[in-house]
Amino acid sequence: MIIGNVFSPFPPPAAATLCQFHHSIASVSRRQLWGLHNLNNTGSRNANISRLKASFWESIRSGFIKNNTMQVIESPSTIQEEVEMLPDEFVLVEKTLPDGVVEQIIFSSGGDVDVYDLQALCDKVGWPRRPLSKLAAALRNSYTVAALHSIRKSAGEERNDEKKLIGMARATSDHAFNATIWDVLVDPSYQGQGLGKALIEKLIRTLLQRDIGNITLFADSQVVEFYQNLGFEPDPEGIKGMFWYPRLTG
Amino acid sequence: MSENSGWRRKQIEMAVATTAAYGRYLPANFLHAPLKITNQSSSPPPPLYISTNPSDVNPRQLQDLYALCNHSCHRFPNLDSDGRVEPIDITKLRIALSHSPVVVSVFTKPEFANNFSTRTEVGAKSSGIGGDWIQRVMPVMPVMPDNGQLVGFGRAVSDLGLTASIYDVMVIPSLQGRGIGRRIVQRIIRMLTSKGVYDISALCSDKERLFFKACGFGEDILGSTTMMYTGTSSYSDADQMVIYAGRKLLLVPPLRE
Repeated sequence: MIIGNVFSPFPPPAAATLCQFHHSIASVSRRQLWGLHNLNNTGSRNANISRLKASFWESIRSGFIKNNTMQVIESPSTIQEEVEMLPDEFVLVEKTLPDGVVEQIIFSSGGDVDVYDLQALCDKVGWPRRPLSKLAAALRNSYTVAALHSIRKSAGEERNDEKKLIGMARATSDHAFNATIWDVLVDPSYQGQGLGKALIEKLIRTLLQRDIGNITLFADSQVVEFYQNLGFEPDPEGIKGMFWYPRLTG
Repeated sequence: MSENSGWRRKQIEMAVATTAAYGRYLPANFLHAPLKITNQSSSPPPPLYISTNPSDVNPRQLQDLYALCNHSCHRFPNLDSDGRVEPIDITKLRIALSHSPVVVSVFTKPEFANNFSTRTEVGAKSSGIGGDWIQRVMPVMPVMPDNGQLVGFGRAVSDLGLTASIYDVMVIPSLQGRGIGRRIVQRIIRMLTSKGVYDISALCSDKERLFFKACGFGEDILGSTTMMYTGTSSYSDADQMVIYAGRKLLLVPPLRE
């Protein structure tokens, strides 16, 4: 359900309508919503989607693996750094469902998130749509992208796995001092199991092992307590985040 | 052109000719018009070169700039008895630079930057006999990164799609208050918006808040709470790994089964 305000089409730089549009995109990345509440300031899809589609296809054409339904987005590893952190992948939870199907929840930090799956998950938690090309770029250029996938293996049959993205969190970083966590979300049907906590803890662990000590996030009021329980402090020593708001005049 | 400037031009032409004849020597009594003594508020603006090319930044120079500005990359730095932060790790600085998509650096001529700790001195130096007018009229080397002194800096980290964060904006104390910091932030913003990123954040201490407000930043209108990991969690474990970030001791979350 999207409560619509009509927003201007995708603006060229320095347009006066910048503020409103950027606001709708901005609000989503920044907030750690968990899909519990709908935003009441959602925007309609931007009108210039055709222009974006062209650049989107260009941008992922090179990364597309033809016989694979999943788009592989490379994690931003750099050659010059001495320690290469191998991406983690392991089974977090495994359980057998009543119908005999085995479900595994796999944690991975290699950034193998399909942008379409992510868009669908964002829809599921009620976030307004963001241009796919921007989502793809954001994933590609994040320092670490942690994902949770559920794999359901049918009992008895061979290779009949159903893989679904059910959670994600990502962090941008300068690889040395600072990191910011954005876009934390968990599929509503999988919430309440400690999966979000696992995502964040793993993310923090990855960052701290790399000696990245300034870890920041911007939390919606409903989830402040959640992050406090994980070791985050609100406005520590008076430090606050400020955001750029382009002036509409001049 | 006023009459005054016509007379001045003649003076300049003679000076050029004289210098050409005598080399760099100028007789002290050559100058008839005493130059105006500048006071603190009207000290000459330094010639500035603003670069967005990361290779213009020399990490050692940058390390010095951090020290001059008493700026730390840790949000909760260790302070010594004089209130000075510890020197920044240059290896980490290099890494941080290479992963900051936007790097802005400001250079000026060394005499405008390094030799003066207050603005009064800058004014006084340039208003003596000779002053800097000769520099203004002679064909001079423009300030460039390789012949200039690094006096201002700012960088941003971004996913080049949705979000960005600005860090480490600084200007040496002797050149603060001239709008250089604001120009640095404006340049950063311009570079980010040209890449389609409009969600730009900056972490601010109390002091920095006014500065960023003047640059067009404000509190989150959606009312999100800024939170930082400080490692004090409700679960504590005896054998927990910790790392230091400045003076904060951060607990590393344990691996869970």
